[in-house]
Order: sequence, then structure tokens, then C-alpha cells
Amino acid sequence: MVCAGATRTSVGVTTVAVPAHANGRAFANVRSGSIAPAAALLALYALGFTLLHELARAWGGAGFYSLWFPVAGWRLALLWHQGPRWTLPIALVELAIDLILGAIPLGGPDAPIAWIGAVRPVLAYGLAVWGVRRLVSRPGAAGVTLLAPPMPLALVSIAAPVLAALLTLPQALWRGDLTGVETARDVALSIAAFTVGDLLGTLLIAPPMLWVADRLSGVPRTGLPRPGSMAIVEGALVLGLAALTGEMLRWLGLGSQSAPALIGVAWIGLRFGRVPAWCALVIVCAITLPRTAGAVNTIERLQFHLGLASVVMAGYLAGSFHDAQARARAEVERRDRLLFQAERLKTLRAMSVAVIHEISQPLSTLAIEARHLHELTVDASNEVATTAALIDRKAAHLSGLVRRLRRYGGRAVDEPSPLPIATLIESVVALAKPEVQAADVTLTIAPLAPSATVMAQEIELSQALVNLIRNAAQACGKGGEILLTVDAQEEAVCIAMSNKCARTAAPSAGMGVGVLVARAIVEAHGGTLSLLRAEDMVRAVISLPAIGTAA
Amino acid sequence: MTEVPASLATVYVVDDDHDLGASVARLLRRHGFAAEPFLDPAPLLAVYADVVPTCPAHCIVTDVMMGDIDGFAFADRVRVIDPGVAIIFMTAWPTTANAVDSVRRYGGLDYLEKPIDEDRLVRAVTEGVSWSIRRRSALGRTARLTARERQVFDLLVEGHPNKVVADRLGLSPKTVEDHRAAVLAKTGANGLAGLIALSR
Repeated sequence: MVCAGATRTSVGVTTVAVPAHANGRAFANVRSGSIAPAAALLALYALGFTLLHELARAWGGAGFYSLWFPVAGWRLALLWHQGPRWTLPIALVELAIDLILGAIPLGGPDAPIAWIGAVRPVLAYGLAVWGVRRLVSRPGAAGVTLLAPPMPLALVSIAAPVLAALLTLPQALWRGDLTGVETARDVALSIAAFTVGDLLGTLLIAPPMLWVADRLSGVPRTGLPRPGSMAIVEGALVLGLAALTGEMLRWLGLGSQSAPALIGVAWIGLRFGRVPAWCALVIVCAITLPRTAGAVNTIERLQFHLGLASVVMAGYLAGSFHDAQARARAEVERRDRLLFQAERLKTLRAMSVAVIHEISQPLSTLAIEARHLHELTVDASNEVATTAALIDRKAAHLSGLVRRLRRYGGRAVDEPSPLPIATLIESVVALAKPEVQAADVTLTIAPLAPSATVMAQEIELSQALVNLIRNAAQACGKGGEILLTVDAQEEAVCIAMSNKCARTAAPSAGMGVGVLVARAIVEAHGGTLSLLRAEDMVRAVISLPAIGTAA
Repeated sequence: MTEVPASLATVYVVDDDHDLGASVARLLRRHGFAAEPFLDPAPLLAVYADVVPTCPAHCIVTDVMMGDIDGFAFADRVRVIDPGVAIIFMTAWPTTANAVDSVRRYGGLDYLEKPIDEDRLVRAVTEGVSWSIRRRSALGRTARLTARERQVFDLLVEGHPNKVVADRLGLSPKTVEDHRAAVLAKTGANGLAGLIALSR
């Protein structure tokens, strides 16, 4: 069931109903139907691929391409940002460049195998991205700290290289001669080197690329955290100490040990989060990587890079874990606040029920006497008669209001029943009218289809609608207009409410739970609530499953 | 059934809010009822017990939530003393459960929500008074039946034929015929339909 107004975004209107997954920002969709930007993106990718590919050559060796492969990060960033559907275009781009650069043969008996070898890592990366996204979007994954953002990116950054490396195994066993991998030792070396090179690439390159991409595509982000000076001093001290310890071990002839650096970056990651951890990793790599470029013993170099990969992985995971925890903590705090507000609402409700009761008693007397007075004074002087009539009218109005309010705030737990939308709108308008008029706002109801019916708890659903009307009125202030339209379709009934403000009014201080309550009620009815916000207008669309015409 | 002038109809209003009780009583008096407010059901019960033989009330309008005796307990006790009085409940705490109970369990004629809808109150009281008068007359006409005739009457108005009544009571059909004739004579009803109307 889809409501036209909920999906169509008119000019200048942006959707503010962010999907429930907070990591939705990383999952920006392919903008289907726009070929030019996609082509430009692929061209940019091709350029980056070529440059980074050449850069990686310095850390190459027999049986593997490179022990430090930034292309992996470049590729992962694009796949993660655009989604696994981009796997094929990326694979084709990489294949084309490999062919142009002569990295793989254009023809010959073994050409197809070489081609497969060129696209295989891309397919593996696509598969890893798809898998991790599936894992995260599963129902029930939302509450797991290990899957809270940015953990999914950290997971895919590690899973993709490992998967890609493992997928080289069949070819290495079957036609190892093609890549100079003959013995079991060669196979192990090749896979280890492949994994290490890609790991370093994904963990160091993908995060900043994604950050830049998010910035460019205008995804709202909190921006980079600004660490305090004490944090910088602490990080620098830890890193310096780690470097000093590492150098000392080397100087003492104990080889290049990664443990000090590992502890250092894990410390920074756990204490300060992902971005500082990434900065520390870049510093570590900037110092150590040049040492292994060029002609160094392969085994020594592999060992060194394996150590470096462990450092990078540990640092990155520690930082991501810190961020995920911070996010989870913020979520708990938000829920606490909501709970507090719910408690407050409960108290308010109890109070209002008591007040309604206390009022209804004297009001009964007042209404009876006012009417009597009115009847008595019909023939009195014009002045007296008018006053008595006015008092009577107001007392009667107040009585009606109290009766309605009681039904609304009382402990009425009603069962869902077929509810004609026209009835619903009528009672909602009666409830909201005094408030809307007090705010000096006009409420217009478009003609409705009389047959539209939904299965609903009338009181709850009225509350949802009243909340939205109240919000619309408060947001506008004097001279605003609210338009309420109902669109009955075969499967869904769409109730849309839009306000048009005469001028920008300062929003009044509400408790901010009106929309939350409305959303909860609508969702409990199996419907959806979406809000579209523009500069001078807010449009709320409720979509409810229709049950056909009322019996 | 002829309408009795409202001025002859006695209505008691029970509410622990003195002003409201008085106001409702005055309202009813304006509509021609002999209405009397009571602050508490207990004194009314005492008064009521005294006047039953001579001047019973036709209708009682009572609040539900009151001090010692609530409206429902009060209705139960009044019913014991006088089965011919109409009872109307009014409340500031309306619930669906109470509304159903007030009519089904406590024989209430209506269940009014405060602030009171005046027209509905007057309609309900008018209806209550005429129901009460009908009920009293029916009760009066069946009062002179003997115990045996009462048994036969009760079974007949349930729709049982003479044979079944005879069977149930262990009498001969001829005896039942005699009792039936006596019942019709005493109540002045002209047939089974009239008897059923009396039992309502």
C-alpha cells in the first residue's frame, strides 16, 4: 500500500523520515535512471584504480601482486557506498584496465582463466558487501552492539579480503603454473600475501573514501570528532612509546615486532574511537611501509606485513567498537528520555481524568441552571436575555467538551472495530477545533469518500490525528492554514495533513512526543506515518490498510 | 394505558453533591414532577420504607459514586422494598461495564453521563414514571392471587399450555383450567396476552 503523497517529493520538499536503520546513510542507493553520474563515477574509479595499482607494484613479489594493495580499499569504498549491484560494472572496468595495461593477456589458450582471475576479487568483494548488509538488515540485528554502525564497515573490510583470498585457492591448486605458484608453500604464501595486501588496503583507504563520499553526497553527518588537547597528548604519548619500544626491540636485534604498535593503536581506538585510531594507523603505516618497499627478503617482508595487518585490524576494530558503543549508549539515553516523557504523560493523563471529573460535577449544575436562566429571561430586556443566552450556550458547549474529553482520556480500552473514516475525521475535528481556533489557524477538510473504512481503535487513532493537527497548528501560529485530505484507495486509506504558514513562526515548546505517539499508534494499526518537510510547509501522511466499505 | 399527570408522579433525586441534587430536582419540578432531592441514600431508604404503602415514588434518579452506599447497592435495596419504582443512574465516571450492569443487573432505565443531557433526563424520567405506573397497576392486579394461582400464572405467562402446567404442578388439567379462570377473573385480563402484559 502506497500513498501518493508519501513517496512523491515535490520540488523543494525533502523527506525527513529517515529509515529506522541509522546506518542507512552508508547504504545510499544507486540513483537509477541517471547514467551520466554513474559513468563519471566509474571513470573516476578507473583512474584511481590505475594509479593505486601502479603504486602497489613497489610491494610486489613472486606469486602475489603486492603486500600493500590500496586498490582494495578503493574498490570496497565504491561497492559499500553504491551497493552490491555495482559489482558487475566495477568488474568490467577492472578487466578493461588490466587488458589495456597488459597485465593479463588479450588472447591465447589461458586468457579466459586470467580474465576470471582479474574479476574474481571484485565478485568476492560484492559478495561480502551483500552478505554483511544482509546480516545487518536482518530483523533483530538492530539491538546487537557488534552490528551497530560503524561495525558493519569494519566487518566487511576484513571479510572481503579474506573471502577474495580464499577464492584464489581453486585456481592456485589447478593451474598454479599460470601465476608461478607451484608448491604448497607457494600457495600459502600467495594467499597470505593477498590477504595482507588487501586488508591493509581496505582498512586504510576505504574509511576516508567513504567519509569523503558521504560529504559530497550531502548525507548529514556529525562530522569529524574534535578531540581535546589532552586526548591528542595522550594519543601521541602512547604512539610514541609504542614506536620507541618497537625501535628498541629492533636495535637489540630482536626483529621487527608488531606487538607494541598493536597495543598502542588498540589503546587509542578503544579510548577515542575510529577516526583517531585510523589517524594512528596512517602514522604507523607511513613510518613502516616505505621500509618494505623495494627489494627486501620476501619472507621477512611477509612477516612484517602480517604484523602490520594485525596492528591495522586491531586498531580499526577497537576504534569501531568504541564508536558502536558510544552509539548504543546514546540510544539508551534517548530511550531513557522517552521513558521519562511517557511517565510524565501518564501522570498528566491521571491528572486530567481527575480534573475532568471534578469539573463535570459543578458543570452539571451550572449547565442546568444556565439553561433555566435562559428560559426564564427570554422575555426580559434584550441585554439580560442576551447575557443569559450566552451563558447557557457556553455552559452547554463546555458540557459537550467535557463529555468528549472524558471519552478521550478515560480508561476506555476499546476493541478494534470497522471505523468509517468520515466518522473518525468528524470526531477529530470536533476535538481539535477549539485548539486550532485558539491558535488562529484555519482547518479545511477536503470532501471525503464516505465509504472508506479502516479497522481501528477509534480513540487511539483520533489521538494520533489530533496530535498531528495540534503540531501543525502550533508550528504555524497566527494565520496558518491546515488542509486535511483523505484519499481512499483499494488497499489503503491515506490521510494527509499539510500546513501552510503565513510566515515563519517560532515553534512553540511542546514535549516533542506528539509525533512519536502518533507514529506508534499508526504503526500499531498496521499503517505508516511519513512526514515531508519543506521551508514553509509540513505534510504528514498516514496510510492505513483499508477494509473496504462499511457493512 | 392512560398517562398520569406528571404532577402526581413522585421523583427522588439522590446525589452527594447538594447543589447538583437540588438543581436536578428543581429542573424536574419545572417539568411538573414532584421531585425531592436527597444528599444520601440512607435517609431516603428510611423515608421510603415508611411511605411505601401510601405514597411510593415512581422514579429515583441516583448518582452512582456516593459515600457509604453506592448507587448500585442502593438500587438493589430499593428493589427489595419496592419492585415498582423506575431507577435512573447518573455518573461522572462513566464506564461501559457500569453502563451495561446498570441496565442488566440493577434494572436501571437509563445511565446518564454528567454533565447531564437535560432533554434525555426528562425523557427518561417521563418514561420511568409511566413504566412505574403500569408496573404498579399490574402488581396490584396480581396481588390478590392465591399461592397456587400465582404458580399457575407464572407458568402460563412463560407460554406453557395447560397440560404442561398441570404436569409441572402435579395437578389435573381440569384443576388448572379452574385456576386459570380464577386468575383471569381476579386480574381482569381478557386472555393469555393480557396476562403476559401483566407479568412484564
